[in-house]
Amino acid sequence: MQSDNIKIVIATLGLETHWRGAVTVAQMLREFGIEVVYIGNAFPEEIIEVAIQEDVSIVGVSSLSGGHLALGNDLISLARKKSVKDKVVFIIGGVFTPNDYNELMNLGFDGIFGPGATGEEIYNFIRKAVTAKKV
Amino acid sequence: MNQDKTTKQMIIEGLKSQRDTPVYNADTINKISKEFEEWKNSAVSIEHRKHYDITPHSLLGTDLPRRLVYSPIDIKSLDYGEDLGFPGKYPYTRGIHSTMYRGRKFTIRQLSGFAGPEDTNERIKFLLDNGATGVNIVFDIPTIQEYDSDSPVARGQVGMGGVAVDSVNDMELLFKDVPIDKMSVSLVTHYPTNTAILFAMYLVMAERRGIPWEKLRGSVQNDMVMEEVVRGGLEFIPPKECFRTQCDNISFIRTHVPKWNCITLNGYNLREAGASAVTETSVAMANAIETLKELVERGHSVGWIAERISFFWDVANDFFVEIARLRAARRLWYRIMKYRFTADNDKAMLMRCHVQTSGLSLTSEEPMNNIVRAAYHALAAVLGGTQSLHVSSYDEGYSVPTEAASLVSLRTQQIIQEETAISAVVDPIGGSFYVESLTDELEKKILDEIDEIEKMGGIVEAINKGWLHKKIAEYAHHENRMKEKSAIKIVAHNYHKLGGNTAEIDVFRYRSGVEERQRKKIEKLKQRRDNTTVKKSLQKLREACLKHENVLPYCIEASRADATEGEIAQVFREAFGLWHPPMHW
Repeated sequence: MQSDNIKIVIATLGLETHWRGAVTVAQMLREFGIEVVYIGNAFPEEIIEVAIQEDVSIVGVSSLSGGHLALGNDLISLARKKSVKDKVVFIIGGVFTPNDYNELMNLGFDGIFGPGATGEEIYNFIRKAVTAKKV
Repeated sequence: MNQDKTTKQMIIEGLKSQRDTPVYNADTINKISKEFEEWKNSAVSIEHRKHYDITPHSLLGTDLPRRLVYSPIDIKSLDYGEDLGFPGKYPYTRGIHSTMYRGRKFTIRQLSGFAGPEDTNERIKFLLDNGATGVNIVFDIPTIQEYDSDSPVARGQVGMGGVAVDSVNDMELLFKDVPIDKMSVSLVTHYPTNTAILFAMYLVMAERRGIPWEKLRGSVQNDMVMEEVVRGGLEFIPPKECFRTQCDNISFIRTHVPKWNCITLNGYNLREAGASAVTETSVAMANAIETLKELVERGHSVGWIAERISFFWDVANDFFVEIARLRAARRLWYRIMKYRFTADNDKAMLMRCHVQTSGLSLTSEEPMNNIVRAAYHALAAVLGGTQSLHVSSYDEGYSVPTEAASLVSLRTQQIIQEETAISAVVDPIGGSFYVESLTDELEKKILDEIDEIEKMGGIVEAINKGWLHKKIAEYAHHENRMKEKSAIKIVAHNYHKLGGNTAEIDVFRYRSGVEERQRKKIEKLKQRRDNTTVKKSLQKLREACLKHENVLPYCIEASRADATEGEIAQVFREAFGLWHPPMHW
C-alpha cells in the first residue's frame, strides 16, 4: 500500500492505564503502510523529543481516563515552543465528551478520534493532513 | 499432591468411573440420532445442511461453532450428579447456593469514584440511598499507578477516572459516615502493590474509627495479571516480586481480616484488553492455582485460603456463551479444588464471582442503545448465577457516568431482580441441550488453556516470557480486523450507521479544583505528621522487601505514620527494581 513515507510516533498519554486503543491504531496504520514508532506511556517532553529525533510527520496520542485536556495542552504548547507545531500533524484518540472535542480542537489538535473511529478514517485523515502541512 | 502432574491430568484421573447417573441411555441416543439424520436430510435445505455449523463473531467473542439446533445427541454422556447436581451441591454448575436468588439476591454493586474523596463520598451515599446494596470504589489514574496527587507525573490526571486517595486521611474522607462495619465494600485496587498500600490505609482508617478488622467485609483485587499485563504505565516491578506481594497480601488479610476476600482474580480487564471468554477464565484460574500452591508452601491450609478467593468476570455480547461460561467456571473450579488440591471444606469449592457488563461492547454512536446492550449483558450474568453485578452505563463512550446514567444502571439491575421473575427459579436455563453443550465445551477449552500455561511453567513464567502479552495483543489485532471489515457487526457503528453526528447526551463534567485541594492536603499532612517516624517506617518496609518478609504489616505501619501512597510505592520500586514488560503490537 502507498505510504508516501509517512512516519508517526504514537504514545499513550501520561499515566493512562489503557493501551489497547493506541496499540490498535498503531497496528492499523502499520498495515496501511505508515511507519509507526510506538513508545508506550509517555509525557509531552518525551513525545516531542522522539518526534524531533525520528523526524516524524505526525504525532498521535491516546487518552481515555480524563487527562487529555491538561496533557494535550502541554503537548501542543511544547510543540509550539520547539517550533514543530507547524511541521507536524497532531492527532488524539480516546474517550472525550462532545464539549472536550471542541476544546481539543481549540488547543490546536488537527484531528480528534473517538471510540467509533475506523482505521480507514484515521488513515485518510492522516494522508490529507500531512499533505496539507507540507504545502 | 503430585507436583509432576498438571491440573488437567489430575482432574481427568479424578473424574474416572464416577458417572452413575447418566441422563440418557445408549438406546435413546441411537433412536434420537436416527431421527435426527432423517430430519436433517429431509427438512433442512441443502444450503443450510452445508452450513449446519456456523461460527458467529461478536465483540470479545470466543468463535465457537454453533449447530442449527441442539438435541440430546450433543450432550449424550451428560451425567446428572457429576455434571450438574443440585444448586449448592457439587459440582455447583447450577449455582453456589441451594436457594440462589430467593435466599440471597445478587448484590447491586455499581462502581463509583471520581474527583476527590469528598466528592465520591457523596456519590456513595446517593447510590446507597437509592437501593444499592454494596459499594465498589474505583481510584483515579495517579492512585492506581501509585503516584501522589502532587507528583509531577500526576498533573492534569488527579480525580480523573476514579477517586484520588493519597493517604489515610483521604480514606477517612472517602468513607465518612458510610457504615463499613455493616456492609461489604469492594476496593478496586487492581494491583498487588497498590493493594498492599490502599488496603493498609483502609485498615488504618477502620482502626481510627474504632472498628475491629474482624468486622470488615469486602474485597480487594490484588491481581498480578492486572499489574504486569493489562496495565499500561511508566514503571513495573518484576513479575516474581509482584506475585510475591500478591501472596503476602493474601496471607496477611486471610489471617487478620477473616471476612475479607483477599484476592479477586480479575478476568474482566484482561478480557477488555483483548481476550476471549476462555482466556479470561483460564488465566484467572491459572493464577489462582499458582497462588494456592505458593500459599500451601508457606504453610497455609488450601481450603482455608480458597474460601476467600473470588472472581471478577466480564460479560459481553455472546449471550449463551456468557451464561455457559459462568456455569463452566463454577464446575471447573470445583474440580480443581477437589482433584488438584483435594481441598477439605465445601466453601473452598465455590466459584464466587462479581460480574461487570462489558464497557468495550458499548458504542459512542447512539448511546441510548447501550442501555439495551447492558441489559442483555446483565441478564446473561444473572442467568449465569453471579453473586454481584455492576451494569456499565450508556455514556461509557464519552466519560465516567453521570448521576442519571448511574441511576439507569442501577434500575436495570432492580428491574431484572424484581420485575422479571427471573430470580424465582434457580438456574432456569439448566438442562437446555444448547447451554449444557456449550458449558461442556467451554470447560474443556478453559482447562486446555490452563494446561498450556502450566506446561509453560505457570502464570508467572507465562507473563515473564511475554506469552500472555502476545496473546492479548494478537487477539485485539484480530478482533479489530473483524470489526473493520464488518465481520463483527455493531449496530449504528458499522451496521445501519446513520450519517451525521451522534445524538446529544448529557455528559459528566469533572469538578475543578480537585488537584489543588489534594496538593494542599498533602502539603498540610507533611507538615503535621512526624516525618522521622515516616522515614523509619519506610526504611523498615524496605528491609522487609529485601528480606522476603510479608510486606503488608510494614505498609500498615507506614500508613499509621501517615506516609503517602507515592512514598510507599517508591520503596517497592527501589527495593524490587524495575522490569520492562514485553511490548507486542
